[in-house]
Amino acid sequence: MKTDDSKLLTLLRQVRPLPPLPPRFQQNVWRRIEGAEAPVKPASWLDTLAGLILRPRFALAAAGVLLVAGVSAGTLEGRQLVRHDAQMNYLAAVAPHAVR
Amino acid sequence: MKRSLVILIGALALGAAIFGGSYLVSQRATMLCCAQPADDLSWLRTEFHLSDAELAHIRELHEGYLPKCAEMCAKIAEKKGELADIVGNSTNLTAEAQTKINEIAALRAQCQAQMLQHFVAVGQAMPPAQGRRYLAEMKQLTLGTNELMEQSMSGDTGHEHHH
Repeated sequence: MKTDDSKLLTLLRQVRPLPPLPPRFQQNVWRRIEGAEAPVKPASWLDTLAGLILRPRFALAAAGVLLVAGVSAGTLEGRQLVRHDAQMNYLAAVAPHAVR
Repeated sequence: MKRSLVILIGALALGAAIFGGSYLVSQRATMLCCAQPADDLSWLRTEFHLSDAELAHIRELHEGYLPKCAEMCAKIAEKKGELADIVGNSTNLTAEAQTKINEIAALRAQCQAQMLQHFVAVGQAMPPAQGRRYLAEMKQLTLGTNELMEQSMSGDTGHEHHH
């Protein structure tokens, strides 16, 4: 019975030859099995933050806040520069450096 | 981990670009739109909220003061030129150089007194509160720099010692 099985197997292999296995096939199979069985690691703070950043709502809100902050700071600075330039114009006219 | 770091760095760079870009654009835009005309007195008008009549009076004072100021400046420049000639030709401080230094100092003092007198007159042409603020600011801007320099050289922090 056993010899019949082996003969049948040999015949089957001849009819449908199996392709050769890729290198390190068995090792890779075990690695995948181990990986699937391993407990899921908790996400680090960096991953959590990256996940938050990638959320469209958060990204849009952050961009909006930065835009408003930039425009406000720039306008304030621009006004101060304009005021300073005008002040220096007046000062240069009435109080030259020679007497200051 | 590495992917998260790349995302974080990218987000920070993008955030900095958004803030920096909007800051620079709005600063330039404000400077372009709010730039005051090339009038010496435009700062006075906006800073001290002057009416047309007050500004006209101040302009009169200003235009009367400018030739006097220019005359004093020319005298100081002339004396400084003379001092440079004297100092340039000698290796030590001569009596003649000392005389020129004294003359320049006297001219500067005269010019400063004239300038302060003008500031007082301009301050009086403004509403009282604005006039006081103007006078304080002009004193600080014109005399304050010398005081700071003298204090830093003498090591005095400005505190008075009471005995």
